[in-house]
Amino acid sequence: MKDLFWLAVRNVLHRRVRSWLTVIGILIGTAAVVGLISIGQGLQVSITRQVERIMGYNTLLITPRGPGYGAKIQLDLPRLRAVEGVAGVVAVRSETAYVEGPTRSGFLPLVGYDPLMREFVAQLSWELAQGEELTAPGQVVLGAEVSEQLGVQVGDTLLIEDRPFQVVGILAPAPRRQGMARGVPISDSLFVLYSDLAQLFPGPDVAAYAIVKLSPQADVVEVQTQLERVLVESGTLDAEVIGFQEITDRIRTVLGGVQAFLAGIAGISLLVGGIGVMNTMYTAVLERTREIGVMKAVGAKGWQVLLLFLYEAGLMGLGGGLLGLGVGLGLAHGAATIVGKLFQLEGGLSAAAGPGLIVGALGFSFLVGAISGLLPAWRAARLPPVEALRYE
Amino acid sequence: MSTLVSLEGVTKVYRLGQVEVPALRGVDLSLEAGDFLALMGPSGSGKSTLLHILGLLDRPTSGRVLWQGEDVSGLRPGRLAELRGRAIGFVFQTFNLVPTLSAQHNVELPLLFQGVRGKERRRRAQELLEQVGLGARRRHRPAQLSGGERQRVAIARALAADPQLILADEPTGNLDSVSGSEILELLAGLNRGGKTVVLVTHDPEAASTARWVLRMRDGRVWEEG
Repeated sequence: MKDLFWLAVRNVLHRRVRSWLTVIGILIGTAAVVGLISIGQGLQVSITRQVERIMGYNTLLITPRGPGYGAKIQLDLPRLRAVEGVAGVVAVRSETAYVEGPTRSGFLPLVGYDPLMREFVAQLSWELAQGEELTAPGQVVLGAEVSEQLGVQVGDTLLIEDRPFQVVGILAPAPRRQGMARGVPISDSLFVLYSDLAQLFPGPDVAAYAIVKLSPQADVVEVQTQLERVLVESGTLDAEVIGFQEITDRIRTVLGGVQAFLAGIAGISLLVGGIGVMNTMYTAVLERTREIGVMKAVGAKGWQVLLLFLYEAGLMGLGGGLLGLGVGLGLAHGAATIVGKLFQLEGGLSAAAGPGLIVGALGFSFLVGAISGLLPAWRAARLPPVEALRYE
Repeated sequence: MSTLVSLEGVTKVYRLGQVEVPALRGVDLSLEAGDFLALMGPSGSGKSTLLHILGLLDRPTSGRVLWQGEDVSGLRPGRLAELRGRAIGFVFQTFNLVPTLSAQHNVELPLLFQGVRGKERRRRAQELLEQVGLGARRRHRPAQLSGGERQRVAIARALAADPQLILADEPTGNLDSVSGSEILELLAGLNRGGKTVVLVTHDPEAASTARWVLRMRDGRVWEEG
């Protein structure tokens, strides 16, 4: 009933500080839920964008199955390259090699380099500080840190596994957080052409992972099936082929779980807010016992009293929800800006709030209020009129 | 004249823990349309209990309540509330206005519960407040009104649904003598206009406004004189 609703609005607005404190309880809960969810959604968008930028839609990855970090897979590169629709395959292979420099020597990671790598692996921060690119066998490029450790300059000669290599370039120090390109510590590694690596470490191609670039017209699903078949036929059963879609799906699953967990925690504060509403409504029923008696004396039916109190409780919930939504979005926006700056995310991180979140948050906070008000309202509705009137 | 309400052998017993307290010990009363009855008696004599039963706010422990000849003692609470809202107006000693609502909205309240449209409610409330001389104070809240003014708002509220019966429980008890006699005059005026009025009081002067006085003692009713 519309008129009862307006009566409830008037009652809530004219109540004292207490109803505002109750509203704040709901506000905090809603703000927490909304803030966390919208940051989560923003994170999802930003990570998806990042993955897309790195890989693009026409790239597939061949990686070791399962979560084992540092696991390696054996690949039959010529056969993989021969699959129709494949434009190129780059195996990221790293071996530990004995390196002798002018002053010091030791075991260091040696990475097989393919010029295609730079195009594929966007997050590989490949920038030369000195010298030039790797172009011919017998050349080596050093990471910033390793060149310092070995004390070598461009033009020096190193012995890698007893074979002389000429230092042609030294990489610029990689920015923090980008020093690792999935198992490749750039600053600490030496880079030689893949063919040189294969000669130094004869045997099958054992890689950390491989990147497969597709030709523009290739059917991603078809190529993926073909690659999988090649892997199986060449006896590589511990590897899998994953595409852009699967990567973003996996990220989404993980993020979704984290998000649900956080939202659950935030939901607890909303629950506490709901209990606050219940407390306020119970107190209100006690305080307004006489008023309830009067309303009944002038002809209010039980359901009308019930509805009035439910509306009041729901309104407090909704008011808290509305304010909480604003506060939550504000907080999420602020947090996203700070996080985006801190981690230097390209394109930044922005909190995202779809209409679903907004409507959901408002509806939910109204419900929390109304449900919390149910018991007190029920009590109010069942008060016998004479006793209510006599209440002091 | 037709009978509006009648009580037949009505008793009311309150339970206070183990003790049973009889408030009414068998009351027979018949109220004709247009009556102006004053119920007098010391506190604890059962006046208010009788008024609550007449006003369908309470049920008797035994006996029958007939509203226009129909037994209403067994009606569901919802039906009773409807009948109260439509046919009975209450005026209380402590006014019992809703503090958060303006005079206007307090008067509208009974109509709201009956589902009368907003426009019609406003018109009716305004008319009644003017009738009790408070047309200019419609927007004031109870706290901004004097005792006499509050009681006049309460009377306007009792009249909102145009009931046949007005029940006033010590309406002058919390008022100074000037405001009190104004209120009594208002009630007398309503009775002249055709309303049935029952006035509970222990003030003989107030009772003298009525045309019929009954005395109560120990849960029984005695004819005056």
